[in-house]
Amino acid sequence: MVLIPGDTGSFDAHHPPRRELLDDCVHCGFCLPTCPTYAVDGEEMDSPRGRIYLIDLAQRGEIPLDRTLAGHIDSCLGCLACVPACPSGVQYDLLLAATRPQLERHVPRTRRERLVRRAIFAVFPYPARMRAAALLGVLYRRLGLRALAHRLGLVDRLPAELRAAEDLLPPVPVRSLFRRPPPIVPAVGERRLRVALLEGCAQRVLFGDVNAATARVLAAEGCEVVVPPGQRCCGALNLHAGLEDDAAARARRLIDTFETARADVVVVNVAGCGSSMKEYDRLLADDPAYAERAARFAASVRDVNELLAELEPRAPRHPVRAKVAYHDACHLANAQRIRRQPRDLLRAVPGIELTDIPDAEICCGSAGIYNLVQPRTAEELGRRKAANIEAAEPDVVATANAGCLLQVRRFLSADLPLVHPIEILDASIRGVPLERARR
Amino acid sequence: MSTATTYRPATLAELRDALVDSAGERLAVAGTGSATAWGGEPVHDAVLDTTAMSGLISCNPTDLTVAVQAGMPFATLQETLAEHDQWVALDPARAGTVGGLVATADAGPVRHTFGSLRDSVIGVTVVLADATVARSGGYVIKNVAGYDLAKLFHGSLGTLGVLAEVVLRVRPRPAATATLAVPCDAATAFDLGGRLIHGSLEPVAVEWCDGTLLARFDGTSGGVEDRLRRARALAGSDATDAPADAWSVVADLVSGDDGDTVVRLGTAPDRTPELAALVAREAAAHAVDAAMTSSPFAGAHTVRLRGGSAAAHAAVVTALRTEQPAVTVCRWTDGLRAELPAWGEPPPAVAVLRAVKRAFDPDDRLGRGRFAPWF
Amino acid sequence: MSWSAELTEALGRANVITDPARLRTYECDGLTGYRVQPAMVVLPRSAAEVAAAVRVCARHGVPFVARGAGTGLSGGALPVADGIVISLQKLRRVVEVDPVNLRAVVEPGVTNLDISKAAAPYGLYYAPDPSSQQVCTIGGNVAENSGGAHCLKYGFTVNHVLAAEVVLADGTVTTLGGDSAQLPGYDLLGAFIGSEGTLGIVTQVTVRLLAKPAAVRTMVADFATVAGAGDAVTGIIAAGIVPAAVEMLDNLAIQAVAASTESVYTPDTVAALVVELDGPPDDVAEQFDEVQEICREHGCTKIMVAADAEQRRLIWTGRKAAFAAVGRISPDYFVQDGVVPRGRLAEVLGRIAAMADDAGIRVANVFHAGDGNLHPLVLYSEADGEHDRAERLSTEIAELCVELGGSLSGEHGIGADKACSMPRMFGEDDLATMLRLRTAFDPDGLCNPGKVFPTPRLCGERPGKYRPHPLEEAGVIERL
Repeated sequence: MVLIPGDTGSFDAHHPPRRELLDDCVHCGFCLPTCPTYAVDGEEMDSPRGRIYLIDLAQRGEIPLDRTLAGHIDSCLGCLACVPACPSGVQYDLLLAATRPQLERHVPRTRRERLVRRAIFAVFPYPARMRAAALLGVLYRRLGLRALAHRLGLVDRLPAELRAAEDLLPPVPVRSLFRRPPPIVPAVGERRLRVALLEGCAQRVLFGDVNAATARVLAAEGCEVVVPPGQRCCGALNLHAGLEDDAAARARRLIDTFETARADVVVVNVAGCGSSMKEYDRLLADDPAYAERAARFAASVRDVNELLAELEPRAPRHPVRAKVAYHDACHLANAQRIRRQPRDLLRAVPGIELTDIPDAEICCGSAGIYNLVQPRTAEELGRRKAANIEAAEPDVVATANAGCLLQVRRFLSADLPLVHPIEILDASIRGVPLERARR
Repeated sequence: MSTATTYRPATLAELRDALVDSAGERLAVAGTGSATAWGGEPVHDAVLDTTAMSGLISCNPTDLTVAVQAGMPFATLQETLAEHDQWVALDPARAGTVGGLVATADAGPVRHTFGSLRDSVIGVTVVLADATVARSGGYVIKNVAGYDLAKLFHGSLGTLGVLAEVVLRVRPRPAATATLAVPCDAATAFDLGGRLIHGSLEPVAVEWCDGTLLARFDGTSGGVEDRLRRARALAGSDATDAPADAWSVVADLVSGDDGDTVVRLGTAPDRTPELAALVAREAAAHAVDAAMTSSPFAGAHTVRLRGGSAAAHAAVVTALRTEQPAVTVCRWTDGLRAELPAWGEPPPAVAVLRAVKRAFDPDDRLGRGRFAPWF
Repeated sequence: MSWSAELTEALGRANVITDPARLRTYECDGLTGYRVQPAMVVLPRSAAEVAAAVRVCARHGVPFVARGAGTGLSGGALPVADGIVISLQKLRRVVEVDPVNLRAVVEPGVTNLDISKAAAPYGLYYAPDPSSQQVCTIGGNVAENSGGAHCLKYGFTVNHVLAAEVVLADGTVTTLGGDSAQLPGYDLLGAFIGSEGTLGIVTQVTVRLLAKPAAVRTMVADFATVAGAGDAVTGIIAAGIVPAAVEMLDNLAIQAVAASTESVYTPDTVAALVVELDGPPDDVAEQFDEVQEICREHGCTKIMVAADAEQRRLIWTGRKAAFAAVGRISPDYFVQDGVVPRGRLAEVLGRIAAMADDAGIRVANVFHAGDGNLHPLVLYSEADGEHDRAERLSTEIAELCVELGGSLSGEHGIGADKACSMPRMFGEDDLATMLRLRTAFDPDGLCNPGKVFPTPRLCGERPGKYRPHPLEEAGVIERL
């Protein structure tokens, strides 16, 4: 097969995976032990090296874009643990991001996949719908329906995707479903920054407490926190699923909304949202009306851990006595390369003993909508992660991503509190016990 | 035996010629003769004596290698290396040739750290029964090109071919060495040895010999002194610093005297105390005087039986074989051969052993009967 | 029933791969220059399933190739076109860690590093540490007799494996080795280790564990010349010190490392020596001082001593990622793996530099200086048409090592890559004798065929012509 320069093989000409990125891979296999799907099944096609190989073959036109290829790209969690592990500097994140939309365009999904995806994208990005679903979930539990459904074996007869959704619903108090931070929280003391907070979709519904804690901590550290009204989904779920156009539309709208806030920094406390917002420049690079604004926006996005680590601590920390296992959210650790900051912040709290989790680099299986669309692998990964966390024998588990919180909670057998690290900081700054701070 | 022809080549070419000239004859390969009795008794028409092939081929101290003809006495090799403050990390009891030590897979207490000669041989030249001269390995200490024939010949007891030349890796001699002696039973020895190891005191040898634990430490003079002190503290009040010749008891036991039976066997390390108890029990039951020396963490044991009848010796060895079939009889008391098969139950891979023998010596001309009844 | 149907029945549809695109992901290992699509890949979940698969192959005369993590650099896991690949990646159980007997029993798909991780709670570890240790599997280590940076002091896989359960070419399962190293009979285990998958498939391995040394000290010494660094190593050896590791990196390699990770190496030094000592604290401290003194005597320009575990980790991460990191400074490269007697290091490096100049190709050097194991990295650009020239240079370097009395391979194996160079190192009788062993284990030649030994088809040999023995040419041995 002769390679024609610029030829894109089986891919179409709209941002296909780039040849020079593919050529970076030397097939050394250093990525293998970091890959969750490889850890579960040990099959080359479901490893980063194998996926790159397949993308490479498609780019050369030696294999078609078909169900086989799509299956192996779908099975990738997008955790990107392989990226920092790669000694040759392969940018798998870019390869994946370029491949997924191509497959969405060219490989029709099965009816079942379409239904599941449609349902997910019809609920998750919409806080109101999410809240309604969560309320139903609360009712489902309160009325004993959940127990009944389990007893009757109804749950076991659900398709795996729905069973996962049923199981992921956290026990949330109704009150917190409606908790919203005030539109502006003034800085305590002299104002150092004006920051605009992303509320998130599932985040604001299921983890309203985390948003409240985030605003309090930022304010205590001298940030004026604005919560731009009318903000909608950032499009992370769409982007990571290869639905580029939907993601781009959401990105434009979010940029519009946040620009009105005139903040120095856009702050996010959900790893998945933050990582996609930092990619807006790439996502909107072809849109003349937005390219520049997107680049400015992306440059202003900070994860809350990242931002706090940049600020000299101002608020005094009170002791919080706990052994904390910090779980790296992939979209924070791998996509945004934020590993040290949350650990440093936690270590700075007197009384906190920070512990590592064995096999920390392996994803928990949450990965955006992954645990809903690839339930088998996700469950296996969730079980492994829970077992590893329990092996570290912590008092508290901290992780900075809504998806991880939901996923890990589902598999932890022990009665182990799971928190966002910001909740620990909040408790420390306010000088209240962690359990109380979270109420 | 005395009627047999003896071939005594001095060079590789003469060795090859000897194998050509002896075509059709059954050969017993012999070095100094210190392991003639090991295993089965080979039937042979002629003896191939390797002791004239005793030259140094090359000594390369900066490369940490030495090449010798296989018939060189091992002691001579160590003397040569000592001039360069180096040694081959092996301390066998027998005064055998280098080739003989390879063929018998023999080793002494430092097997605890350095293994046997298989772990130090980096190249061999062998001559097969059909006079094919073959080399494997080479002159470098790190080398994975081709199959490692030296491994195959390790423990071959003269049944695969004749070792002609051996290249070995050498190590610097330690600046200082010291020995701790602790009188104790096998269980205590195993426990204490484990604590020395897990305490990172890095004993180079741990041997339990007939009621005494000997532990040797090699290193810098300051380091050895420090470790010996800490080892003594671990071992308790019975422990003493022993002179270097304390180790001769191991060699004496392993060598045995006329009339003794000496066997060696391997077990998992933690079976050492049980094995010691078994030896004591069986020896008492059959009115035999038994002594045992073990490198417990290498799982390597030698048992010497003294006094009593051949039948009694046979009964003890049979009991040992029930525990661990892989027993090699190295010295046979008079009449024992009539009472005891040369080998016990064959190892699981005996079919492969047979196939290898067939491939290298299809006419079974070298050391025929050495491994009978296995093959 | 066809063999493929039998395999599918024996292992289950989910554990066989026949789809062409999927099969292609198995067409090469860490050496991508050779690619062959196998007819089928099977992924057995137990030793019994491995044996079942091999029995089907034996019955039908189908060649089979075992594969671990596929990190090998000599094409040892290169498939055979009409044969199957048996992936051992579903056999990843650490069966037992036995701290009392200082050993662990593991399945072949367990990575080298995971053995040490499993042993760590007992203060023990598994000594051989190939650079790919977090990826490569113990099954592959057994096949290749893998070494690593620390094998100067601790030896290779063969020195640390006590027993192996293996599936032979006819599908029978047997055990080589046993509870103790002292077992009568030929050392079949020793011969099996390093046989590059040509004598059978290992399905369980019992390895020796060592107590972690009480002290570890690591330093990087910079030198203005490669020869100076080499002389320092000679000085260390002459002083009777056996470091746990002595590694050398030249400037090009250091540049690659710096491009890849957080590098602790001096960017502009001509050569750097990594020296690590381990053992009892007093011994280590005394010898560590001595090593520094020797380096200074040989003109070292700077010594950086790792202050803590993190710095030591960075030194080693850089060194171990060096091969793949070269991908950052060159679009394509070959990793060579020759060995010379240690005393000829300076000579061989000079000749490699001259050959590289002549070929107009850059060569980076990363190597185990303590045992003379070179890893010249031959950098080239496929796009610029340098492939053939670079490949020739790479082969010439390996053969130069043989010419200097060394070896074609120190640890990567012969595999498919160097089979044709084997006659450079071994005579016809040597190879024929090795083949006798092969025949004893695998009379039909189904087990990883086409590796280690040159075949006329592959290498276009001219039989019958007299060639002096390679060691004779090297001046190491004399003609009979």
